[in-house]
Amino acid sequence: MKYTTGVIICLMLLPSFARGQDWVVPDDRKGRLSTFPFTDDTRKEGEKLYQVNCHSCHGDPGRNNFIALQPPPGDPATEKIQRNSDGEIFHKVSAGRGQMPSFRSVLTTDEIWKVVSFIRSFNRSYVQKVMQVITSSAYPGAIISMKLAYDEATKQVLVIASATSETGTVPVTGAGVRLLAARYFGKMAVDEEKTTDVNGVATFSVPEGLRGDTAGNIGFSAMFTDEATFGSVSKDTVLMAGMPVIPVSLTANRAMWNTVRKAPVWIILAYGLGVLAVWGFIVLVMFKLRDIFTVGTALSENISASHGQTEPTKN
Amino acid sequence: MDEIRFNTPHEKGKIDSLASDILKSVRINAGFLLWMTFLFTLLAACLFAYIIQLRKGLGVTGLRDFTSWGMYIANFVFFVATSLCGMLISSVLGLIGYNWVKPISRIAEIIAIAFAAVAGLVIISDMGRPDRLPYVFLFGRVQSPILWDVTVVTTYFVLSMLLWFFPMIPDLAIAKDRLEGRPKFLIRAYELLSFRWMHHEVQYRILGQAVRILLILIIPTAFAIHTVTSWLFAVTPRTGWDSTIFGPYFISGAFVSGAAAVIIAMYFFRVNYKLEKYLNARVFERMGRVMILVAIVYLYFNLNEFLVPAYKLKTGDAIHLRELFTGHYAMLFWGIQLIGLVIPILLLLFRQMRKPLPMMIISLFVLCASWFKRYIIVVPPQAHPNLPVQNVPVEWMVYSPTLIETAVTVASIVLVLIIITILSKLFPVIPIWEMAEEKEDAERIIQ
Ligand code: HEC
Repeated sequence: MKYTTGVIICLMLLPSFARGQDWVVPDDRKGRLSTFPFTDDTRKEGEKLYQVNCHSCHGDPGRNNFIALQPPPGDPATEKIQRNSDGEIFHKVSAGRGQMPSFRSVLTTDEIWKVVSFIRSFNRSYVQKVMQVITSSAYPGAIISMKLAYDEATKQVLVIASATSETGTVPVTGAGVRLLAARYFGKMAVDEEKTTDVNGVATFSVPEGLRGDTAGNIGFSAMFTDEATFGSVSKDTVLMAGMPVIPVSLTANRAMWNTVRKAPVWIILAYGLGVLAVWGFIVLVMFKLRDIFTVGTALSENISASHGQTEPTKN
Repeated sequence: MDEIRFNTPHEKGKIDSLASDILKSVRINAGFLLWMTFLFTLLAACLFAYIIQLRKGLGVTGLRDFTSWGMYIANFVFFVATSLCGMLISSVLGLIGYNWVKPISRIAEIIAIAFAAVAGLVIISDMGRPDRLPYVFLFGRVQSPILWDVTVVTTYFVLSMLLWFFPMIPDLAIAKDRLEGRPKFLIRAYELLSFRWMHHEVQYRILGQAVRILLILIIPTAFAIHTVTSWLFAVTPRTGWDSTIFGPYFISGAFVSGAAAVIIAMYFFRVNYKLEKYLNARVFERMGRVMILVAIVYLYFNLNEFLVPAYKLKTGDAIHLRELFTGHYAMLFWGIQLIGLVIPILLLLFRQMRKPLPMMIISLFVLCASWFKRYIIVVPPQAHPNLPVQNVPVEWMVYSPTLIETAVTVASIVLVLIIITILSKLFPVIPIWEMAEEKEDAERIIQ
């Protein structure tokens, strides 16, 4: 009896445990802010990114049509998500949890902020706080930027980082850099993490045969690994560093899954010849029926002739 | 005129006595009319169920998102399987040279025709929009086993018809003058259909060629019809269907249900049509041996089909096999294997069990088990889709056939009985001329 009561109490507590698992974001992440102000442009780009990456689970903001998962993803236009600070949303999207995927290596920092910009556009009372200057403890007061270039001869992508301040531009040295290449689904890391040399250059080898678009273009994004020291700078650039690929539609050639006009030749032949052969013989057999009839007719005429009968034979 | 067969008085007498035995049942009598009235009433009641389905859609069946192939498709597979008996008896055994199959070859063809014809209709009953049937031919893809299936079922039906009709031409000629007292239309039909048959050697030669072509042609077609039916399942990656031996597994199973159907029909005609002389104990004894053989082959394929995945126990197979061996379908599964296969084999090993009545009873069990076996093959694998589906109402996951579905299935069985009755009542079920020749040979050997 005690045992049963215990089980029942446990069962009753279970749902509240599940609900109670709040998604806690570390304090130092909560206050993080976007480096750029949210504008109509950032909102529009954010919407595109949202449609591609988030819509399948979270649905259309404001319409509560997110899919049924446990825990539920929630509608971004609602209190559930809007009550998060910018830094919290950024962290949750970046880190992911359970069925909510991590977008750290799918979207760049800027892209995540653009999605946040889109999500915030459903909140009338939202007032953005923008991070004033790029916090770089290594180069105080300087604006840090990156440039990407492709070296055809060595098949390497060069990331050149520099810090510009009133006193001039200096290379950013000793900074860890990651390079990502845009693929169909998210982004792929290119080479290992590299450190900028005395000239502020980090070099990444592009793998052989990395597929680009029809011209061989690939979208690269570079970012610092140590954001605290160098700021959350990232750079997206399209470089002609890939193998040109002219995409062939899956239904362009003959295939098992294609329409009948584009069926594999062997199957058309096998089916066609098989049917033709069997039905050819069937027709042949039908002709035999005619032969039997002709022989019979001739025979009965013979008989009636030899018997001198005048009346027509039966049939 | 020795070019005309059955022309001596002695032979004529033999034909006379055979014809009077065999043609006795060819008549439209009260029993026939009563039986047909019963069948048609039942058919009408069941068709009413189909009309409901037609108007309201497949929602009136138990078919849902998970199990979209249910009783209808199981019944279809059973029909195709049973129709294979025509090929087994006439072609395989006939071409090997077993003369004892002669009196039952036409019975086997009649069963083949009836089941093959209705199998096509059964498929239509599984369609929510039967008016779109022509699309299969208009937009069918040669890559699709569905199109292959439609093709081979049609071809097999035509071949079975021809194989039933051709060897019957001499019989029609023999019978057309011996049908006094039968309806006019029947006599007229016999005259037309006998194609001026004069029992001339040339005609026999042509007939022999035609029948030989048909007998050979029907073997690959029959193998195709049931192999393709198995491919409807086996070309999918679904656990329980994803098997490389499904083709031979289905064919060997078809021989079992086909042989059982023939034995039941043989017994029925023997008793009702008073044909004990022709459908005699010897023929039954031989059929019993055939039954043992095909059942053992099928048992062997069953062993392969279940033991190999049960040894490896891949995740999907484990769920499926647990369901069959010890789960929801355990009773049915073991019942089918025991009552439909193991026990019949053991019983038929005894000579006393290969007598007509015991064989008929055993065959009834085998045939019923065959039907349920198709159900076990078709339905359970669909309960566990490869992709997990969330938040689905329970009634979408479990399948149980509704009354309407059952009624439509009964309609198909009634239709088979109607076709068999018409073909066997309006035409002789035993080949007269072949039996006469058979006797001839036997007498020659004795002399
Ligand atoms: C595969 C489905 C899926 C996709 C795709 C997805 N999410 Fe989520 N998301 C979830 C789930 C499930 C949760 C709830 C996770 C939890 O509470 O453990 C969630 C939670 C969140 C939260 C936190 C909500 C809260 O309660 O604080 C945010 C913010 C969020 N998602 C934003 C996004 C954004 C932005 C994207 C696109 C870049 C995205 N999600 C893509 C499934 C998804």
